[in-house]
Amino acid sequence: MVASLRGVSQTMATIADELIERRGHAASATRRRTNFVIFLGPAIVLTVLFFIVPVIIDIAVSFTDLGRSLRITAFTTEQYEKVFRTDRRLTQVIGLTFVYVFGTLAIFNVTFGLILAITTTAIRNVSGSFFRGVWLLPRMSPSVLYILLWLWAVSPTEAGLVNQVLMQAFGLDAPLDLLTSAPIALIIISNGFIGASMGMIIFTAAIRGIPEHLFHAAAVDGAGTFATIRFITLPALRWPISFVTIYQTLSLLVSFEYILLLTKGGPFYDTTVYALYVYRRAFESGQYAYGAALALFLIVIGMVVALIGWRFFDMERLLQRPRIEVH
Amino acid sequence: MIQWKIAPAALLSATLAAGTAVFLAATPLLAQETVKLELWSRQDPSGPLRAGNVVKAAERLNKELEAEGSPKRVEVVVRESPAKGFDDDALQLLKVFGIGEGPDMFIAAHEWICAFQEDGFVLKLDDYIAKYPQHFGTIFPSLWSSAKCPDGTYAIPQDAEARMFFYNKQLLREAGYDDAFIDSMPERTLSGDLTMDEVLDIAKQVVEKTKAQYGVLHRPNKGPDYIMAFNAYGNDFVDPKTGNLLLERDKLAAAFGWFERGVKEGVIPANNTAMEFDALRKEFYTGNAAFWMYGIWDLGSVAFPTYGLPQDEEAFFKDWGWIPGPAAEKGGSPVSLTHPIVYVIAADTKEPELAVRLLGHASAADLNTDHAVTTTHLGIKPEQLEDPRYAEAWPLARATELLKITKFLPNNAQFGELNGIIYAGIQGVESGRLSAQEAADFVIEEASSALEDVIVK
Repeated sequence: MVASLRGVSQTMATIADELIERRGHAASATRRRTNFVIFLGPAIVLTVLFFIVPVIIDIAVSFTDLGRSLRITAFTTEQYEKVFRTDRRLTQVIGLTFVYVFGTLAIFNVTFGLILAITTTAIRNVSGSFFRGVWLLPRMSPSVLYILLWLWAVSPTEAGLVNQVLMQAFGLDAPLDLLTSAPIALIIISNGFIGASMGMIIFTAAIRGIPEHLFHAAAVDGAGTFATIRFITLPALRWPISFVTIYQTLSLLVSFEYILLLTKGGPFYDTTVYALYVYRRAFESGQYAYGAALALFLIVIGMVVALIGWRFFDMERLLQRPRIEVH
Repeated sequence: MIQWKIAPAALLSATLAAGTAVFLAATPLLAQETVKLELWSRQDPSGPLRAGNVVKAAERLNKELEAEGSPKRVEVVVRESPAKGFDDDALQLLKVFGIGEGPDMFIAAHEWICAFQEDGFVLKLDDYIAKYPQHFGTIFPSLWSSAKCPDGTYAIPQDAEARMFFYNKQLLREAGYDDAFIDSMPERTLSGDLTMDEVLDIAKQVVEKTKAQYGVLHRPNKGPDYIMAFNAYGNDFVDPKTGNLLLERDKLAAAFGWFERGVKEGVIPANNTAMEFDALRKEFYTGNAAFWMYGIWDLGSVAFPTYGLPQDEEAFFKDWGWIPGPAAEKGGSPVSLTHPIVYVIAADTKEPELAVRLLGHASAADLNTDHAVTTTHLGIKPEQLEDPRYAEAWPLARATELLKITKFLPNNAQFGELNGIIYAGIQGVESGRLSAQEAADFVIEEASSALEDVIVK
């Protein structure tokens, strides 16, 4: 009797435990859903509103004849015919965009950012912070102010900063007009001065994350500065370099405000990169549907570049769960 | 007792009488209806009275309405646009109309009105113009052609002006030209004896023999003046039979060739299109350039007030002068361009009649003369010539001489966009990116791709 009572009570306890566990599971699932809505909900809403809906609108507009008075009178594939058949500027614009993105990235955003990070972490902390602060100034300045300074610097008159230096220090006879003679170099440099700072910060953080003892060990083994950089610093920067390259490529592909302010895309179409070309077609000529079709290709180009970068730099591995977790 | 009864009765009667009087006096006020008419106007220092005169006109119209016993009163609400030029402004306004937020009236450059008419945004005015001869009857007939689209009149001319090549006589003297030569330039140009290429030759002499750095300067953005050079080489841009845009490859190449030669000779700066407007004016008015291709209002707006050029006629013409756009070849026709600004009424305004009458009052000779003499624009009515203020403003009288040979930009709905392509062609030629022939091909390719019904010859 006692045994049977004990058995019953044990069964009851098991059922109760199961119920509690189930309730716990149910509570956990509800909590998970609530957390999902609270933490990811706003981000999802924003992503849909500002990233997905605009793409859908862009696709829809590109199949219309939306013109300068914002009226749609017909649905048509005319814009795509223009892109593929009649627009002869596009080849030049795409070529220039490649030069601009690759040039800015290779010279400044990655290479120069890396040099700044390595040099400013190699010197005393105070001096390093000072120089990094200086290189952050272009990014902190309002874009209009930054370009105004550039316009003064490269002004084709004797009052321009570059010309003052060249004429007074180096005895140049006539002022240079860099906006006409070297516009592509100018847009690469002016954008690069801003872009370098992002790489600099990320690379600096990564260098700071390298265990100190590795540098000491290398020094004990007789490694010189370049050997230390090559065998210790650079391998540790693989992921940051991959990230900066992909991120900045996409950023450079779609940004044009500094170019618009500095050269207005000229002289002629010399500095009209793809994103600026879309802007000029849509907003300066009022061909909104054509601008939408061109913008769609920019989205496609961006996605292709991102996927290539993803594969090329093996970004999947970067985003894998860490094998060691610290609790 | 009786007195006691009379006093309140008198008081009551007085109160009632006063109340009735107040009520009767207030009745018209209560019944009065204020009609708000919105006017879209670009913030433009070269013509603040274009909008200002409409605001003043409301007072006159309201007096007229009062005299007629109408309960309506007009209030003008000015909506200012910060657009840099009339082209940007028109593109902006087309969008505003497109989303149904258009104003009742707007101020525009005449070549844009057919773009608005094409989309049904603007009111046809022929019947109204005929109905109010007291307002519109004396406006110069030639100006009305700038206000027409293929099927009728859609605007009211607000002003006119003349475009020309200003020149610095001091620099020409320093370059070795004598006074007889310099002073005969306007007449020689008008007779077709002085050519576009001679302008480049004179400018070259100035650049080579004086300290002046530039020979010929022109505007650094899309606009009308450089179209004079294209007109000189026979480009009219519109097919007279169909009204469609017309591009003639050889004539375009000839006009671009003039800019190309100018740069090659070191007369037109290769970076003219990259310079700032104010910087270009400064170069000319401070004696660093021989010629400046622009318009008569620049004297009143900038040259006199900012650079202190003499306002006295004799003193001005001692050191400065102007010629119309010369002919392409000796014996050819010189050209000048006038670019009227116009008042336009929206097709969907609730009070078209009042808007027409309001703009009629704004076109009154005295108000238009206020605008003309303060900004050096030409008037729209012959009676303005009688106004002593107008007669005293010698630049107006002198510039009026050019109206004999003046042309308008085509009133084609797509000309604004074509002009942008032509400007890009000039930029390509001057910066050395395109030859004159390539620029002509570029304009034709771009226009054929972006615009509709373009005739190419």
